[in-house]
Amino acid sequence: MNIERIEYEKAGEVLYKYEHSSGLKAFVIPRKGYSKKYAAFATHYGSVDNEFIMPGEESPIHVPDGIAHFLEHKLFEQKDGSVMDKFSALGSSPNAYTSFNQTVYLFSCTDRFEENFDLLLNYVQNPYITEESVEKEKGIIGQEIMMYQDNPGWRVFFNLLGAFYKNHPVKIDIAGTIDSIARIDRDTLYKCYNTFYHPSNMMILAVGDVDPGVVFEKVEGAIAHKQPRPPVKRIYPDEPASVSRDYVEQQLAVSIPIFQMGYKDRSFGEKGIDLIMYETAVKLLYDILIGRSSELYEQLYSEGLLNSSFDTDVSVENGYSFSAMGGESPDPLKVRERFCKALEDVKRKGLDETAYNRLLKNMRGRFMRQFNSVERISHSFISVYFKGVSMFDYLQVYDKITFKYVNEILHEHFRQENLAMSVVKPV
Amino acid sequence: MLPCPDKPPDFLAKSFVVGGLILQDQEMCCSAKERKVQMDNGFNAGRAIKVSSFNGTDIYRIDTDKFKTSSIHFFFQDNLTRETVTKNALLPAVMRRGSQKYATLKDISMELENLYGASFDCGVTKKGERHIIHFYTEFLSKRYVPDDTETFDAALDLLFSIIASPAFVNGRFSEEYLAQEKEKLKILIQGRVNDKMQYSVDRCLEEVCRDEPYSIFDYGFAEDLDAITADELTAHYRTMIETYPLQVYLAGSITDRETDRVIALLKGLPGRNVLTLRNGFVKKEGMEKRQVTETMNVTQGKLCLGYRTNTAADSADFPALMVFNSILGGGIHSKLFQNVREKASLAYYSYSRLEKFKGLMVVSSGIEIKNKDKTLEITEKQLEDIKNGIISDQEIEAAVKSIETGIKSLTDSQINIVDYYLSQTVSGTNDDFNDIIEKVRQVKKEDVVNTARRICLDTIYFLTAPENAEQQ
Repeated sequence: MNIERIEYEKAGEVLYKYEHSSGLKAFVIPRKGYSKKYAAFATHYGSVDNEFIMPGEESPIHVPDGIAHFLEHKLFEQKDGSVMDKFSALGSSPNAYTSFNQTVYLFSCTDRFEENFDLLLNYVQNPYITEESVEKEKGIIGQEIMMYQDNPGWRVFFNLLGAFYKNHPVKIDIAGTIDSIARIDRDTLYKCYNTFYHPSNMMILAVGDVDPGVVFEKVEGAIAHKQPRPPVKRIYPDEPASVSRDYVEQQLAVSIPIFQMGYKDRSFGEKGIDLIMYETAVKLLYDILIGRSSELYEQLYSEGLLNSSFDTDVSVENGYSFSAMGGESPDPLKVRERFCKALEDVKRKGLDETAYNRLLKNMRGRFMRQFNSVERISHSFISVYFKGVSMFDYLQVYDKITFKYVNEILHEHFRQENLAMSVVKPV
Repeated sequence: MLPCPDKPPDFLAKSFVVGGLILQDQEMCCSAKERKVQMDNGFNAGRAIKVSSFNGTDIYRIDTDKFKTSSIHFFFQDNLTRETVTKNALLPAVMRRGSQKYATLKDISMELENLYGASFDCGVTKKGERHIIHFYTEFLSKRYVPDDTETFDAALDLLFSIIASPAFVNGRFSEEYLAQEKEKLKILIQGRVNDKMQYSVDRCLEEVCRDEPYSIFDYGFAEDLDAITADELTAHYRTMIETYPLQVYLAGSITDRETDRVIALLKGLPGRNVLTLRNGFVKKEGMEKRQVTETMNVTQGKLCLGYRTNTAADSADFPALMVFNSILGGGIHSKLFQNVREKASLAYYSYSRLEKFKGLMVVSSGIEIKNKDKTLEITEKQLEDIKNGIISDQEIEAAVKSIETGIKSLTDSQINIVDYYLSQTVSGTNDDFNDIIEKVRQVKKEDVVNTARRICLDTIYFLTAPENAEQQ
């Protein structure tokens, strides 16, 4: 068995890596002294993958919105009952989540890691879906969808995506709608499963005080497919470069307007370190422009236009990318006006290099702090993995990124014609 | 996977994932998160050792080297009262705007950034009927810093300057900061309704304790804000410094020299004469159950049932209450999850939670509005079943294991370790992680049944949409 050991001295971290004959890669990030042992089995399949060509077929199929998330719920059902009961009997907590690009099955335990890990490897590879259980799940997921409809932070974000994108499925709520999930049936769930749950399209990660040799041996023994399969053909609609609308508004039972605004960016075809280099640059730019130590934030905060709920977010993915900032504000339009004005000033005068250096230092420290938590390590590692990078590549990015490059991205990313805003207002 | 069990909120809250199969239950506590290590509690989590105690100030040190960061926490404690709650909430909000050394938010942020992304924050929380003002800083431990920065010293200086040397103008808080923070606090108080899940649980427990101080919201009353002057808030600051019992926790890779610095700084504070604290535990049985309905423009109804547990956190029965709660609604193995969600498909989340200091329990479910009565019926039946001893061995076993996993997992988060020890002091108990696990393991079925029989439903709270409310 060929186990690769990679040491990241600066971070005080080690990564163990193993590749299965099917093309699946498995990783272990040890955490000496931690009680929690954690493992995740993830597939490169999320809510945006709603049109694709099944292996061996010629023509594409279009599946109902929310099906990746629905399948996530249904995998827990097994021939002999819910696999949750088996995890419960071991005292561990299983869970799963679906994002735009991936579905992740995980558990966290403090004892009997190996038995838990066996369960995880087994149930994700063995779906048992019945028509009856599909119907039953519609009630549960229906309530999940309604819960998000009452969540203003969630609504304002998806309304922004709706403003950015005319066609791209990233604008669709991950769980779908009550109507779209009504169209989901057993047969389509299996089609999605057979397309995206081949080990070539998946990865495994364990974090905790576990033995990498044992983890990899279990992976080797448990993965049923031994041969690799070519990548799934995913089909995404053409998407114009400009925003679909520059402003959207919704009313909800909130006490103060909540907003998100940001910039739609181009679609990056390439994978790899360039993606996270670009992402890091945009993040640094937000920190410089409107971060906690910026002139602009201090002013907007003092004038009551922003409060500490303000936050920023940058997503650079293979098929789409955007940035967003938002929070509560009595006058979101004023915030937009002030941001745009400050942005123009900075574009004209150039960036402050002292601030750049300080904020890069800040970012390095924040990166290191993630290693305190097994959940964060797992989330960070998996969220970049299918983009063709390792979370440890950020260390390289922080060493290689330059002031000049960040200045270039300032002009590339923050274009007035790509700006959109979403506001949720009190009823 | 919704709320991340780990604090700092800058993480999962921002990453847009849906779904999780399960809404994770959260502990109802907590505000906000190669040297030889003491292993005497069985975990690499450090034990809280009281290193000094004087003038109502207790300083604890928790040595552990498993984290990349260390942290310093100050907890000033008051009794929860209408008179002081709003001032207690406003105080840290104004104090965090600046100190004599770091005059503005911007100065503070720049210092934190220079310290490799250190954090500083403050705020209020309640544990039972104690109102706690929390100031903390967390920073990379020295060995992970690429240069020679003494991160502990720098972070301590920042935190201590904010606490001990506020940016007074003419001997009092700045009128400008005061006015701005009043407005922000008002927004925060009014913003309670934005998070319907949390709001409904809080409101339910407030209704249960309607005639007791526990019903006071941690962040106070919007209508009390206007009257607070800079002079009054400055006087209140002195009251906090001089009369609130103070607990300081130093956690992570801490040296003796660093500990001594903290002790010396605290000894330099003005003479203190501290007040006496209560936690507000109340026993109450035989009350009539009340219905409280609140309407808002919502899609989903939130049904919350508020109970008195009649079992105090320092009583010998408390471990049995923990097991009871776990069986009822403490996770995927629980009766609520299995029956309300899995069997009846009524909800995505349905769980129970304890407020251990005050002796309360809440059951919360997000449901379709028309299913209120059905959900109520199934929920009450689960509790009745436990009272009647309808509990399988597997249920008890899964509950005990789940608690055990939960407690062991606390030791992987610095803020949770600190919160655990702080909570012990509030409840007047002295259990280490292992002690509590051992006690939970000893719980028998009859203990669970006996504890369950003492639990009394007080309030059925329903957050619903207007048109449905009229039919109730």
